[in-house]
Amino acid sequence: MATIIDFNQIKVNNPRVEDFCIAGFVVRLVMNEETKVWNQLDQYKPFVIAHSPENKPLFTMSVVEKENWSKGENYVEEYRQKEQNMEIAAGYVDGYRCYMFVLDGYATCRVIANKDFSQVIVLLTNYELYGLNNAMMLTYAFATASRQTVLFHSSVTVLDDYAYMFLGKSGTGKSTHSQLWLKNFQGAHLLNDDNPVMRVEDGRGYVYGTPWSGKTPCYRNLRYPIGALVQLKQAPYNKITRLTPLKAYSYMLPSISGIRWDKTLSEGIHETENWIASNLPVFYLECLPDDDAARLSHSEIVVKEK
Amino acid sequence: MRQKKGFVLRNVCGDNVIVGEGLEQINFNKLLTLNDTATFLWNETGKGEFTIESLVEALTEQYDVDPDVATTDVKRTLDRWLELGLIEN
Repeated sequence: MATIIDFNQIKVNNPRVEDFCIAGFVVRLVMNEETKVWNQLDQYKPFVIAHSPENKPLFTMSVVEKENWSKGENYVEEYRQKEQNMEIAAGYVDGYRCYMFVLDGYATCRVIANKDFSQVIVLLTNYELYGLNNAMMLTYAFATASRQTVLFHSSVTVLDDYAYMFLGKSGTGKSTHSQLWLKNFQGAHLLNDDNPVMRVEDGRGYVYGTPWSGKTPCYRNLRYPIGALVQLKQAPYNKITRLTPLKAYSYMLPSISGIRWDKTLSEGIHETENWIASNLPVFYLECLPDDDAARLSHSEIVVKEK
Repeated sequence: MRQKKGFVLRNVCGDNVIVGEGLEQINFNKLLTLNDTATFLWNETGKGEFTIESLVEALTEQYDVDPDVATTDVKRTLDRWLELGLIEN
């Protein structure tokens, strides 16, 4: 079947190219110079690197105008998930993966990706910054899935050069727990409040700040070795336990971004998650949003230097 | 009976575990650990259509086990899998 989407001939009018280095991977954005979203990308500034033909991007995201958008034929939706006022839909168009994000009932962006997610075409329709960020994050998660890299839903606090990752469902108090650490322990600072990237490098687990940090503007281009991960659960008391690797794996599942869409993506994410669960300390903290909770988790999880 | 699409057997931190994967089972937020017998049965059911009888036969061929005990085991395992939606009639 002839396809009408040609990834070798993507047309962007009046293009401006910007390269970012996010957790060690180069991401290239090509978008019309006139697009007003360029003025809203402060969160990406710490990640800008000099554009050079030598940069080998993990993926190139081309944001095209409506007239250059070929929406393709035969869109087959395979997946749709709604969470509060947000919705994500995914499927195939002409055999290529296609995903989109909806906010408050408005489609914000549509993305069509080539087979290995090295080229993606994006159309921004409403809430452009929201659309661009989500297109970036999900594409990043897909493109890095087989590279021992995962995008985590987590709030990360650094103390004495080790990063502590707080996990949990939205509204559990991840950010609150981070704030309690900042308040109670001198030298503690926030690395990222919502979507850090975790990588396995040379047999060690590292976490990186990213341009995505939820509602907290904390966009730090820094990397730290992971001290521990803590799954949070609200409770009328404070209690911490260390999880067995299997439990750690199961608790972490919902915190890892991306869709386990096919075998390659699933296996990539599984390998990384399995490594984390087997090699890093993962704790379960049932807690109140109080200072005692922070003191308790601190006393149990901080890395004691040899 | 047959397995539903979207479940795979993985080694998770040394255990045999069934996880939901692919878009079909995106909302299956559970992990099911399997012992050796259940792992054997899962692999058998992955070969295609199966019945209680075919599994009992396979099980008694593989292991030195009484057919009655095998039948009870197979039935109990399949009931659980049906309840969790891992297999269908």
